Amino acid sequence: MSVQTVQPVQFVQQVQNPLESSNVLNGLNGLNVLNESKHLVEIQGVSKSFHKTVKESTTEIKALSDVSLSIRENEFVSIIGPSGCGKTTLLKMIDGLIPYDSGRIVINGKPVTAPGPDRAVVFQSFALLPWRTVLANVEFSLELRQLSKEERAKTARDYLKRVGLADFENHYPHELSGGMQQRAGLARALAVNPTILLMDEPFGAVDAQTRQLLQEELLELWQRERKTVIFITHSMDEAVYLSDRVVVMTPRPGKVAEILDVPLPRPRVSEQVRRHAKFVDLTNYIWESLKRAMENHH
Amino acid sequence: MNSRFGSNALSILSLAVLWEVTGRAMDSTLIPPLSQIAAAWWKLLSSGKLLANLSMSLTTLVIGFLLAVFVGVVLGLLMGRFRAVEHFLDLYVNALMSAPTTAFVPVLILWFGLGVESRIAVVFLFSVLVIIINTMTGVKQVDTVLVEMARSFGAKEREIFFKIILPAALPAIMAGLRLGIGRAVKGMVTAEMLLTLTGIGAMIMQYGSAFATDSLFAVILTVLLVALVTMKAVQWLDRRLTGWKAEIAIE
Repeated sequence: MSVQTVQPVQFVQQVQNPLESSNVLNGLNGLNVLNESKHLVEIQGVSKSFHKTVKESTTEIKALSDVSLSIRENEFVSIIGPSGCGKTTLLKMIDGLIPYDSGRIVINGKPVTAPGPDRAVVFQSFALLPWRTVLANVEFSLELRQLSKEERAKTARDYLKRVGLADFENHYPHELSGGMQQRAGLARALAVNPTILLMDEPFGAVDAQTRQLLQEELLELWQRERKTVIFITHSMDEAVYLSDRVVVMTPRPGKVAEILDVPLPRPRVSEQVRRHAKFVDLTNYIWESLKRAMENHH
Repeated sequence: MNSRFGSNALSILSLAVLWEVTGRAMDSTLIPPLSQIAAAWWKLLSSGKLLANLSMSLTTLVIGFLLAVFVGVVLGLLMGRFRAVEHFLDLYVNALMSAPTTAFVPVLILWFGLGVESRIAVVFLFSVLVIIINTMTGVKQVDTVLVEMARSFGAKEREIFFKIILPAALPAIMAGLRLGIGRAVKGMVTAEMLLTLTGIGAMIMQYGSAFATDSLFAVILTVLLVALVTMKAVQWLDRRLTGWKAEIAIE
């Protein structure tokens, strides 16, 4: 069994009459748990260790231990956990950048062995090429896909427009704010039209106001583009605001502590959602869950 | 830019005045006044002697330096990218880097004779090591996140090399070229003085031993001018290729 959908007890007690849309969502969840073939991403008992050699002695650092998680198509899943719990490692393994030691990661029925055109990563540090303009940076992802020069420019401009950077295509990354740089990073990832968007703390390096703005923009984009998003974050309210489900992980070696449904209606308007009783409860619940996971660890 | 140009002009002017005054006051052949040096320089120039020797020297310089750039960049890229190549070669590169290059001149004479080949070899040897080391360092300092990014979008080794490593290492490579051209000029004059009395180096030796100090200083100033102009040329190329880096530095 690769899915463990745990309903937060506290939460269920407090919200007696869940909204209609959340009923629908929960109903779908139940359906998909039974029907595993609907899952786009299957992570089955994955473990990963790193070997660190200092002088003669090699120490083994267990980063992830027996992680299982299934993600449906078009689902927005956040993974939250303390620093060093292997969230980023997990994301890199889903992308195929690093191999896993044991278990299986299957996407669309095929085991992951290398990065593929169905996945694109948005990096925490933006990872833009400083010698290229914004347009050329977005084109980078397309250059590796045998498109004609005109097609590349056309597609790149199209996605720059979608992230609101149409007027900045000739700027260099260092001329842009952090938020704008990450919009460019997002455009680069979207431009290859991936099925799955892998986001590694994408808003961790921008200021709080920009962060909130980017979250709203991301939700709008996600609503329109219908991608499956796997989103790594440190921030509890970010995870709740954005996600269909939140995966809470334990400290190293990272394990899945619990998986929580977020039955907030969509589209989510930031100001309203954040004041929603459910939002507050769920955020608190995740905090408790993280604390429990860390206490059990010690 | 303008204030810099002004400061440079002021610096040169005050040095020239100081030189002229000192030269006239000393009234000795050891420090001839600048006006006398200028006259000697003009004589050398109009007789065609200076230009003939200069073109001979510059040919050596250009060929030797271009060879050093080619070999230095290729070896540096390989050493920076492949640990095996680095471990195979870094011993020699480091040893040669700290050894006085002049010590190898007799060996080069034995190998290449007294012709232009050994002068080119000296220029090459003087400038190649610093280019290798800078290129290698540049490659090693490439942000690993950028490589990871390229890989995540499906880039193959070749594409990673040409689209990420090479452009990211370019500022360091160009810094190596800037240091290299200075050393190449040193190598050029050293070769001409120690190996085969030709070109600018021969003129220095000739006028030095004849106590023709005005002509000697005229040639030395020409060497300084060559060093300055070649350095400026490499800087210009650097700015053209890595303008994005300069802009970041200003911020």
